[in-house]
Formats: sequence, structure tokens, C-alpha cells
Amino acid sequence: MLKMKNNYFQRLFWILVIAGIWKAISLSGLFSPLIFPSPETVLKSFYLSLLNGELIRQTIISLSLILRGLIISLIIALILSLLAISSKTFAGMVETLLAIAHPLPGIALMPLVLIWFGAGTKAIIFIIVHSVLWPLVLNLLTGFRAIPEIYRLVGENYGLNSLKIMWYIMTPASLPYFLAGIKIGWARAWRALISAEMLFGAAGGIGGLGWYIFKKRVFFDIPGVFAGLIVIVIIGVLVEDLLFNKVEDITVKRWGMQI
Amino acid sequence: MNLLEIKDLSRSFVTGKNKLLVLQRMNMSVKKGELLSVLGPSGCGKSTLLRLIAGFLKPDSGSISLKGKPLSGPDADRIMVFQDFNQLFPWKTVLQNVVFPLKLKKVGSSRKEREEIARRYLARVQLDEFLHFYPHQLSGGMKQRAALARALATSPEIMLMDEPFASLDGQTRSTLQEMLLKIWQESESTIIFVTHDIREALLLSDRIVVMGSSPGRVKKVMENKLTRPRDQLSRDFTEMYKEIYGLL
Repeated sequence: MLKMKNNYFQRLFWILVIAGIWKAISLSGLFSPLIFPSPETVLKSFYLSLLNGELIRQTIISLSLILRGLIISLIIALILSLLAISSKTFAGMVETLLAIAHPLPGIALMPLVLIWFGAGTKAIIFIIVHSVLWPLVLNLLTGFRAIPEIYRLVGENYGLNSLKIMWYIMTPASLPYFLAGIKIGWARAWRALISAEMLFGAAGGIGGLGWYIFKKRVFFDIPGVFAGLIVIVIIGVLVEDLLFNKVEDITVKRWGMQI
Repeated sequence: MNLLEIKDLSRSFVTGKNKLLVLQRMNMSVKKGELLSVLGPSGCGKSTLLRLIAGFLKPDSGSISLKGKPLSGPDADRIMVFQDFNQLFPWKTVLQNVVFPLKLKKVGSSRKEREEIARRYLARVQLDEFLHFYPHQLSGGMKQRAALARALATSPEIMLMDEPFASLDGQTRSTLQEMLLKIWQESESTIIFVTHDIREALLLSDRIVVMGSSPGRVKKVMENKLTRPRDQLSRDFTEMYKEIYGLL
């Protein structure tokens, strides 16, 4: 408990230090306040955007897109990796798909996606799914393959069929890899989302945080750009610290199964 | 009638182009309530034999029958205790690990009742104070004791023990051997105990199946009539030790 508090204290301390340096640079007059706003102008812009609801609205749009993308990726990833571990033929298929798609950055697909799906929600979700799916499949496959044979033997020994072995044994046994995959997937999804929103947030009339930042830049509202960035950072930290770390604390860490 | 009957059992493994005969026409039987050791050098196929009995492997030819019925696949009437410390599920506590098979086999009518049964078996292996520990918090000996409790809890017809104490230090091994003997005598369970340690076989078992290797086969089945509790320093013990040593 003490250590955790200490961590938060450290975080806060360094954030204040960074803000201090920032303030010093803006005071030094080296850069025009137009392109390097002081921290308080940024905070003010952040506060006003929160107040008029714009920032919150765009955040909700982005989060709902990312959540939909993650859920779709999760379902497809589970199906693909389960197929791959239950049959050699499918394993070949999934590995070929992985080899083709995994190294392909989502951004590179955007022109094609734009033509196929138009500049709308579908296009953004497609890009998110592409960014999340492959690392997730890769992790799930590694996880399933890393399960010690003895767990399966013990399961068989008590008369479990394949389906029950999957549920009672493979699922918890592969959880560390699954969590690692979700973490990578989440980070990738953010990147894909923000870039996609910047590219066709306007055309499709969707908006989102990426679009918000882009729009602020167009109007040369640099404090507004920073306000958007702050939201992205806050969400990132919250998800990492509160969600992922907590889930790990009560599962894989407690079980001594971290990878 | 014998509880378990093995007739002309053969099994080979194919590795690349080579076919390796691991067990050749093995014949042996296990009586109800006995503690039988299968003793042999490493690579003699004794683990393969146990895996065949457990149903993890299928024989090439020959038969294994339990209470007169031929075996079909793994089932909870033959429970294996492995050498591997990882046999407990790391995501379950000690208690949950023992409750799990009870739940699968629908032993007991409620969770509370199942936990009660699990606690009883865990007390017999002296793990009552570690019920809520996760396996990674236990020592090797404690893990093996928990695995033993898990195997006992569902009251299998036969317990198959594949060198369960071989990875433990000498002192812990002796403690667990004594514990196993006590439990076996109290519960009247039937145990097939695989080991490469002559002393262990002599200390524990009523009968010893001595195996030879390449291909694995029965060399001799010996009655172990040494009086219990057995004294490793006694003359009879040493005599038998020498005899088996000569066979291996």
C-alpha cells in the first residue's frame, strides 16, 4: 500500500517538474506563445472545452469506436486462434494470414479502406480491428501453445472433454498471454483510431479526439491541440493503471503467472 | 480376481523413420489394496506403462482391464500423481485445486460439503494451514502433498504415482514416503508406484515389478515380505537390495 502511494507521489512530482520546465520555456520567450502556449493557457483551454461539452463528446465518440473495434477483434481473434490450435490445416491458414497482415501498418491500408468503405465509422473500425487483431491472435496462439502439457493431462485424467478442457484449463492458463495481447491491442487501437479520425473524421462527419486535435490545429488553437493530447494521456494512464494493472493484480500476479 | 490385469501389452513410438519398441509383451496384475512398485532404470518404459494404464496412451497390442473390463481412455477411476511440481493449477488455491475434481465428479451435494471433504484430505497431508495459498507460494514437497490430496479426494480405484518424490530433497522425500504409507494403510487404496530408486521400492511396496530396458519388459516380480515399519539398515533389507541391484 505504502509503495503504491509512493508511486503516485512520484508520478505527481515528475508531472509538476515537467510542468515547471514547460512554464520556464514559455516564460523565456524563446518561442512565440502562439506555438508554445504556457501550461495555464493549456489548462484553461482544457477546462473550457470540458465545460462546453465538446471534448467530452469527442472522447465518447472515440471510446465507443475503440470499444467496438476491440470487441470485434477479440471475437475474431478467439475464433482464429482456437481454430489454429485445433487443426493443423487452420494453423497453416492463420499463420499465413498473420505473416501477410501483421507487418502491414493500418495507415498503409487507409487509401484502400477509404475506397472500399468510404470515410465513415466502418472504415475507422476496420482500421482498428486490423491493428488489434493480429497482435492479439499472435499472443493467444503463443499462450495456448505455452500451456504445459501436464494441465491438459490432469484435465483428461478427470474425464474432461476437449470443450471443458478449453474452458476450465486453457482459458485461465493462457490468461497472461491474453492480457499481454489486449494491452498491445489497446495501445495499437489508440494509434490507429487517432490517425484514422484525423484522416477522415471530417469527411465522414464522425469526429472523435483525432478529429478534435486536427481541427484545433487548422484554427491554430495550439492550447486546444494540447487539451486533446491531455485527454489521450489521461485515458491511457487510467486504462493502464486502473484497469490493466488491477486485473493483473487479482489474476496473473496473484497466481504467480506473469510472463 | 485381480483389480487390474495387464496382458501382452506392447507399445512403440515412432520418431522420424525409426520405430522404437518401448514395451514388449508386458504381463502383470495388481491386487486390490496393494502397493505395487514398478522399478526400473530410466528409459525402461515404466512411465509409458503408467500412461497406458491412465489411458493417456493407447496400446499397440495387448490389453489392460480394470475389474475385468477393458479400459477405454482416461477416467477418474485411475488418478495420476506426476513428478512434475506443476501438476496443480496455478490459478487455483490449494483448497480449490482439491475441490475442482470433486465438483467435476459431482461428489458432495454442495460447495460447502465439497470443501469439507477437501479440507479433510488436505489435513491428512498436513496442509490444513495452507488451504488458501496459491501453488507458487508452496515448496515442492507441499505441492506434491497437495497433489496427493487431490488424487485421494475422489477415491480412485487405483492411484498411479509416477516418481512423485523424485525431485525432492532426501529429507522431504522420507517424510512424504512415510506420509504416503500412513495414508495408504488407513485408506486401503491401491497404488502403483513407479520409481527408479530401489530403496524407495523396498520401503513402500508389497510387491516389486522389476523391469528391464530396451525394450521394456518384466524381468521379475518380487514379493516384499519385509515387516513394516521397514528398517533400511536391517540385514534382510540389505539382502533384498543386493538381489534387486543384481537384477538391474
